[in-house]
Amino acid sequence: MIFRNMRYFIREALNSMGRNRWMSIASIGAVTAALIILGVFLIVNLNFNFIAEDVETQVEITAYLDDNLNGEDISKIGRELIQLHGVKEVVFVSRGQALKEFREQLGDRGDLLDALEKDNPLPNSYRIKAHDPHMVGEIADSVALLKGVDEVRYGKEIVEKLFKITEIIRIIGLVVMVVFSLISVFIISNTVKLTVYARRKEIQIMQQIGATDWFIRWPFLIEGIILGFLGSLISIVLLNIGYYYIYNSVLLNIPIIKLLPREMFLYDISLWFIGIGTCIGAIGSSVSMRRFLRV
Amino acid sequence: MIKMINITKVFPNGVMALKDVSIRIRKGEFVFIVGPSGAGKSTIIKLISREILPTKGYLIVGGKDINLLKRKEIPYYRRKIGVVFQDFRLLPNKTVYENVSFAMEVVGASSKQINKQVPEVLDMVGLRHKAASVPSELSGGEQQRVSLARAIVNNPEMVIADEPTGNLDPETSMDIFSLLNEINRRGTTIIVVTHADSIVNQMKKRVISLDKGRVVGDQEKGVYNL
Repeated sequence: MIFRNMRYFIREALNSMGRNRWMSIASIGAVTAALIILGVFLIVNLNFNFIAEDVETQVEITAYLDDNLNGEDISKIGRELIQLHGVKEVVFVSRGQALKEFREQLGDRGDLLDALEKDNPLPNSYRIKAHDPHMVGEIADSVALLKGVDEVRYGKEIVEKLFKITEIIRIIGLVVMVVFSLISVFIISNTVKLTVYARRKEIQIMQQIGATDWFIRWPFLIEGIILGFLGSLISIVLLNIGYYYIYNSVLLNIPIIKLLPREMFLYDISLWFIGIGTCIGAIGSSVSMRRFLRV
Repeated sequence: MIKMINITKVFPNGVMALKDVSIRIRKGEFVFIVGPSGAGKSTIIKLISREILPTKGYLIVGGKDINLLKRKEIPYYRRKIGVVFQDFRLLPNKTVYENVSFAMEVVGASSKQINKQVPEVLDMVGLRHKAASVPSELSGGEQQRVSLARAIVNNPEMVIADEPTGNLDPETSMDIFSLLNEINRRGTTIIVVTHADSIVNQMKKRVISLDKGRVVGDQEKGVYNL
């Protein structure tokens, strides 16, 4: 029965979308907006995680040294460092070397550093590797106590910060998404309500002829689903285009930051979005029909 | 076919539309229900089409107590009844053909059945040549004939008509009544609520008279005598 009538249902749904053109566009726009906002948060979140993981693999302690130390002091610190419990390897990085490495990291844009050649702001440092990444925190604390060490940095610090940021982004993203989903449901339910209202006479006649509730419901449900589906499709296209540009411009302008490649997640997100958009549409139209079908 | 047993209907606003009414209508009968406005005629139609429930009493249709129908069963019950209204209730944006085929789509008929049945009933009401017109292009009598075609296209066991000629001139009314008579001759039970006294007198059918919610007369081959 349902499949035999599917063509009728879809035709009715499309007709009513044509009749309420502006409300339909508004509904699609609402779903698109909700999903784009969700998408932006998701993408930012995924990228922070990606960067955090990348940083975590290079858990290395860097001890920046005071500027006014002489060669003797520096090698003394080096000897002290290698004797610390859990330290596997200590490498001295001179200020000149640090600048050279930085230049290499920048690749093509290394010329940016030309101005710094005469007055190098980078300090001398030791890079310390631990036997066990879990001991990094402890070693870092001991290193910080050594005389002549100005500042200690280790990847974990950044990792923890990044994880904290991703956590916050995730919560904000979730709240924003829920709010926007509710708004979309509301707008779609209003669009479908207009359709139901415009066709209340028709619905009444259908009920008198003996149409089942589901026969009456299907066209409206399909209308909501189509609106939600179109909204999700547009959001996917816009997110893809947007990320493509951002990815390339980050690659060009900030080579240190490596963003998550598009194909690693946008496929999954697209599928999810189509699912979410369709559900928003279905829920929206169900909400508006409940009241009207009681005759 | 229909047994109304001691039915009382009090509307939420306190109006008592029917008082202890008992009526029995056999299968294949042609019955007029007459009476002044407010007598409870339309209430009977609404009870039979299960739009409202009685406050007291039983309504048995085809051996079933329809007060006990579940919500899901109501559409299937209604398919056994063709309803005709004073205001025709056609869909203005659909053609004559679509208005009739729509009733078959609703009950899940196949397109083969629809293609066969719709032209047949349009023939019967004499509107096959107007199949492609929309209701606004038709006269009142023609519109009512479309609504009759729609009411009978699914071969219902009975047709109930609420003031079917209330908006029509006497001559056109007569056409509608002879159509109803024709449908009745094929075995369909017909119940008509009407004010058209001269036609009632002319047709010599059973007439049930109501006044202030009570049955005040019930005669075979009766006349409109209020």
